[in-house]
Amino acid sequence: MLEVSGIGKTFHAGTPNEVFALRDVSFNLLEGSFLIIIGTNGSGKSTLLNAVAGTFPLDRGTVSLSGHDMTKWPEHRRAKLIGRVFQNPYSGTAPNMTIAENLAMAARRGLPRGLAWAIPRTLRSELRDRVRTLNMGLEDRLDNDIGTLSGGQRQALTLLMASWLKPDLLLLDEHTAALDPKSADQVIRLTHEIIKRDKLTTLMVTHSMQQAVRLGDRLIMMHRGSILHDIQGAEKARARPEDLLQRFEDVRRREQLDAPVAEMLGKTYV
Amino acid sequence: MTLLLGASTVGLILALLALGVYLSFRIFNFPDITADGSITLGAAVTASLLILNWPPALATLAGFFAGVLAGTVTGLLNAKFRINGLLSGILVMTALYSINLHVMGKSNLPLLEETTLVTQSESFLGMLFGPGDVGVFGWEVNQRDAAALCLAGAMVAGVGMILYLFFRTEFGTAMRAAGDNPQMIRALGGSVDFILIFGLAVSNGLIALSGSLLAQYQGFADVQMGIGMVVWGLASVIIGEALVGSKSTGIVITGAIMGSLLFRLIVAIALRWGLDPNDLKLITAVFVFLALVVPGALAALRSRAGRAR
Ligand SMILES: Nc1ncnc2c1ncn2[C@@H]1O[C@H](COP(=O)(O)OP(=O)(O)OP(=O)(O)O)[C@@H](O)[C@H]1O
Ligand SMILES: [Mg+2]
Repeated sequence: MLEVSGIGKTFHAGTPNEVFALRDVSFNLLEGSFLIIIGTNGSGKSTLLNAVAGTFPLDRGTVSLSGHDMTKWPEHRRAKLIGRVFQNPYSGTAPNMTIAENLAMAARRGLPRGLAWAIPRTLRSELRDRVRTLNMGLEDRLDNDIGTLSGGQRQALTLLMASWLKPDLLLLDEHTAALDPKSADQVIRLTHEIIKRDKLTTLMVTHSMQQAVRLGDRLIMMHRGSILHDIQGAEKARARPEDLLQRFEDVRRREQLDAPVAEMLGKTYV
Repeated sequence: MTLLLGASTVGLILALLALGVYLSFRIFNFPDITADGSITLGAAVTASLLILNWPPALATLAGFFAGVLAGTVTGLLNAKFRINGLLSGILVMTALYSINLHVMGKSNLPLLEETTLVTQSESFLGMLFGPGDVGVFGWEVNQRDAAALCLAGAMVAGVGMILYLFFRTEFGTAMRAAGDNPQMIRALGGSVDFILIFGLAVSNGLIALSGSLLAQYQGFADVQMGIGMVVWGLASVIIGEALVGSKSTGIVITGAIMGSLLFRLIVAIALRWGLDPNDLKLITAVFVFLALVVPGALAALRSRAGRAR
């Protein structure tokens, strides 16, 4: 289904700011599986999702989805197969356009856009019905600008938009991190429902250990641009938040060991 | 009366410029200086073709498409070659200066004997009402002036309507979204590059159309006529927004047209009262500066006052 093989990305290569954001990352994802990605700040989780979505060209490796080698496709072409929700609630919607207009654009994700009406009458009733499933009362506010909504409402709508046309792959990048706990719960519940209902193949980045153990059928932990752990099947089902925190702790201890060593080497040789 | 009529006509003709500037500056937030060159380009192309005895409608259309081409180049420079937007516009505008001179063959092309859209409307009006002056709201108005005003009004109404309808289509909605949040429309499969190039093409097409009509109304095309036009257009858009005070597209389009009209009337009256025409561009620039800065400054003052309380 999704095949990521040997991808690498270095930002600011050859300068003092060089960052190896992804080093030789490979994994395959079966259709319908739900992969959780965790890792420390700056470990390359967002970069991995961006690499799959095509935000920047890769230095190495290939990405293919549903049998298409997408490595050379620009982002907007990959969008035909991929639905996406960003960490920032402001990223996924056009604030100065109405809820209806935003949703109508999502209803044509990856399809050619011509001179037909953006919101034909038939679409309007469908919009209302599907917005009603969010249980946020937004079905009566379809003509309000999205910019007037709360972050939680916007993320819920973005989720609805990303899954409006069933995507081959759904990318979620800490999409509840910027929300208050109550909205975050609501959006996570919605996420769970939509993924289960449509059997969506999903990549979800999260910082919440609760979410990481509760959701998904596979989990990878990233560190410094590589996959450190890959937990699947029964082991994933058994995993508890403490187990994951333990693994973070291990990483941290090793880092602390590494740091003085690096410093010593630096002093000796530079 | 003739003064006001003339000012209204120019205001309506330049409303097309305002709509073009609205498209680039407000939809895409792209300060497109190409306008200064493309308004002259429209005038130059139409005037040259009229002198070759092209039918006025075709010559006008050709002026429009010349602007489309200019906008496309600016869009390509920005989207494909990643040249800063302002610089892309400046490059094309500068190049257009030479091109316009080539198109016209000299720096000023008079259209004295040529059949233009204006003379055609005049004969059309003559056919409807018979020869002589026309009565408008009780005033006797020169037939040529009345014809030009009707022509400009009809053009602007038509273009404004088409633009309004366009912004409600799938592609038009995507265009507004591309300006509002490019990341979002990319994630939904829209090519922001293509949409921007298309938008700038249409914008400069409208601006060139404005130049084409202006040349036919004034009876000449001049290589200098575009200088400072972006700022004119911007001033009209800003006045329009202040007039209607709404962000909904249909209303803002109407506002831009009204803004252009009002701006021209104010200018005509100010000139009548003895304003030195040489100061006009300076005053316009200062006006746009104030219009851009004052609302923000007021908001800052208000929030500071709020915090102090
Ligand atoms: N466009 C970019 N240009 C330069 N550096 C970048 C860019 N994007 C990411 N990086 C760098 O790449 C590294 C990985 O970043 P990334 O955003 O993928 O981390 P992350 O795992 O998502 O972290 P977080 O948990 O904070 O979101 C970081 O050091 C970051 O500074
Ligand atoms: Mg991130």
